[in-house]
Amino acid sequence: MSAFEGFLFYAFGALLLGSGLGVIFLRNPVHCALLLVLSFVAAAVLWLLLGAEFLAWVLILVYVGAVMVLFLFVVMMLDLNLDRLREGFWRYLPVGVGVILVLGGQLMAIFATGVFEAEPKSARVAEDYSSAKELGAVLYTDYLLAFEIAAAILLVAIVAAIALTMRRRPENKQIEPDRQVAVKAADRLRMEQISVAPPPAPAPQEEGEDKPAPAENKQ
Amino acid sequence: MAELNLGAAAPELFLFLGGCALLLLATTRLSGRLLLHGANLILAGAALLLWLAWPAEIGAAFSGLYEVSALTAMLQMGILLATIGALSYSGDYLAQRGMLTGEYLALGLFAATGMLLLAAARHLLALYLGLELMSLSLYAMIALRRDDVRAIEAALKYFVLGAIASGLLLYGISLVYAATLQLELPAVAAAAADAEARGVLLAGLAFIVAGAAFKLGAAPFHMWLPDVYDGAPTAATMFIGGAPKIAAYALAIRLLAGGLEPLVEEWSGLLASLAVASLGVGNVIAIAQTSVKRMLAYSAISHMGFLLTGIVAGSEEGYAAAMFYAFVYALMSIGGFGMLALLSRADAEFEMLADVKGLAKRNPAAAALTLILMLSMAGIPPLAGFYAKLAVWSAAVGAGWTWLAVVAGLFSVVGAFYYLRVVKLMYFDAPDGDAPAVALRGPYLLLAAANGLLIILLGLFPGGLLRACQLAFG
Amino acid sequence: MTLAPGLAHFLALGSSLFLIGIMGVFLNRKNILIVLMSIELMLLAVNLNFIALASYLDDLGGEVFVFFILTVAAAESAIGLAILVAAFRLRRSINVEDWKGLSG
Repeated sequence: MSAFEGFLFYAFGALLLGSGLGVIFLRNPVHCALLLVLSFVAAAVLWLLLGAEFLAWVLILVYVGAVMVLFLFVVMMLDLNLDRLREGFWRYLPVGVGVILVLGGQLMAIFATGVFEAEPKSARVAEDYSSAKELGAVLYTDYLLAFEIAAAILLVAIVAAIALTMRRRPENKQIEPDRQVAVKAADRLRMEQISVAPPPAPAPQEEGEDKPAPAENKQ
Repeated sequence: MAELNLGAAAPELFLFLGGCALLLLATTRLSGRLLLHGANLILAGAALLLWLAWPAEIGAAFSGLYEVSALTAMLQMGILLATIGALSYSGDYLAQRGMLTGEYLALGLFAATGMLLLAAARHLLALYLGLELMSLSLYAMIALRRDDVRAIEAALKYFVLGAIASGLLLYGISLVYAATLQLELPAVAAAAADAEARGVLLAGLAFIVAGAAFKLGAAPFHMWLPDVYDGAPTAATMFIGGAPKIAAYALAIRLLAGGLEPLVEEWSGLLASLAVASLGVGNVIAIAQTSVKRMLAYSAISHMGFLLTGIVAGSEEGYAAAMFYAFVYALMSIGGFGMLALLSRADAEFEMLADVKGLAKRNPAAAALTLILMLSMAGIPPLAGFYAKLAVWSAAVGAGWTWLAVVAGLFSVVGAFYYLRVVKLMYFDAPDGDAPAVALRGPYLLLAAANGLLIILLGLFPGGLLRACQLAFG
Repeated sequence: MTLAPGLAHFLALGSSLFLIGIMGVFLNRKNILIVLMSIELMLLAVNLNFIALASYLDDLGGEVFVFFILTVAAAESAIGLAILVAAFRLRRSINVEDWKGLSG
């Protein structure tokens, strides 16, 4: 990695951790959600640095663009009592920080002694390398099963979200397609047999407003 | 590119498309009961497809993501039958509460699809996606009773803890990937045997065990389970207490006995402590419960302790015994929650110990099945529960885990107390007040009889199923 | 570890972020919205791990994994928020303590 890339790593790594800490420490959920967006952006920059362009853009477009907007929408929709939600926060803090520091220290020690010596992909690949192309080539072949399962998961999410949150209000005017399809001609149209007396005189043709014309005329 | 062999996943495809068809049919005026029969037919069709193409040897499909083997087929058959059982018991209960809708049934079928895929996973990605397909459907099934505060709270708790468990599992998987650079389970096993970054591998193992323990509901990662089982509508509790337990067993087997087999020394110690904690927590706290539903939830934790004891053995005999245990447990759990669902009325849940008093006089048939279930769960011969415990014990002793087998034995004696208390309440106590008798309708009586008979038969002749479990690993 | 960033640095960054997520779940147990956001942080850390490994060790599998984790996480947040909204409608609160329906 070049010195500039090293600088980018430290700058955006710090931004990522800082905004992550903000998410869990700030009081206002709106600020937390916005900081979460910032941490996604910082992560996307790091992914670009690693040569995963397609996923970096997916993270921005899908995650920041859709999922986080959903989060913000819910945060603003709910009317929260912020003070009560923070009770116990400071009481748990020392234990939490202690446990996390021990765990983190162990993981760092493990990584430091690891045998990871290599160059990132961005330093290796050619100019015209396209990570979207590479991903696409395996997505529909080697990983077809995973792709299908992901489709099923999205269907489950759609069904669940609609079933859980859609409310039928009585005042709503809704079309019911099954009733529309099931309707028969007889439901809309009433056949009346009108015995017409032998015509002493030509009867006035235009008299009823709901008299269906052709069927009656034949008789 | 390796071959796809799409036909290998015929049961899953059939099940998933059937679920989609149910969703479409639900928009018509078909009654919920008709849809329920449809769902059961679809499940039976998938089981038939599985039966017709029972694999004779181990192979792979979908470019190595899907394992075709007798083990896969056994687990899948167990999952399908347990799902049919859970849905069959729940018809009246769901209909009385307005939950017998196309969405509930379709989500049930999608959850079953996820379980089948999880059981067949040969690749960490397929494993994760199958697990999520199952879990997401289950969260939604509980929450579908959205006017009931307890159900929604249970769904929320299940969701949050499930998502954390997935996070832990994924982080563990990423560390295993770091150490082995493989995602296909057989390749992971080969690379793990002589991985240079052993520290990273062990850290990954620890996270994976924690995540899997969450999903199994093993102590000390069990805190969600009693609340979720208690708060969820009984039909949903029955659903998540049956087939998903087999799927959770499949998760543990695929990850630990499949991918991380070279680390058996390390993980068997971890699992042994989880098993002891589960046996202790489950059996001791169950005694203090006043609700049958909560008691069965704590009993589920203790049964997971037994199941883990089988896996701890780390031998093929142990895995087979644990698989037998998972099947028998699913059968007993569905029967137990099924009784609670059948005895509930539209306006009153049947879930407290006080409700059980004098059941033998009010409803002899339900009391008889409950008697069989309680004795089987307590591990009293000659019922299936006894034989399952025996198989696990002998596998643990055979693998040199004598102390664990002794602990499991002691705790099952403790556990027998609260199962037998239910029997005493049913047969020797007078009913509280003038609780009206709840009669079982014909089809449900037949179902309950079949369930009880199966438990007795599996206790008397366990050889066939046990041999099939052993063959799956042999 | 040297100062120039390598794979170990990315893994260390990922583990720090993951632990921040776990701490967020632990500290904000009462506020489910923040718990959901902390879970997102955990998944982001996992994704960072996978991408760093895929990039440094030249294996596409990690990137494919991230693609699917993103998909699942989106579905998961949709369902989680739907359950949360349903809960809020019933109780007008997302504070777990306000829910006495379920005991210990």
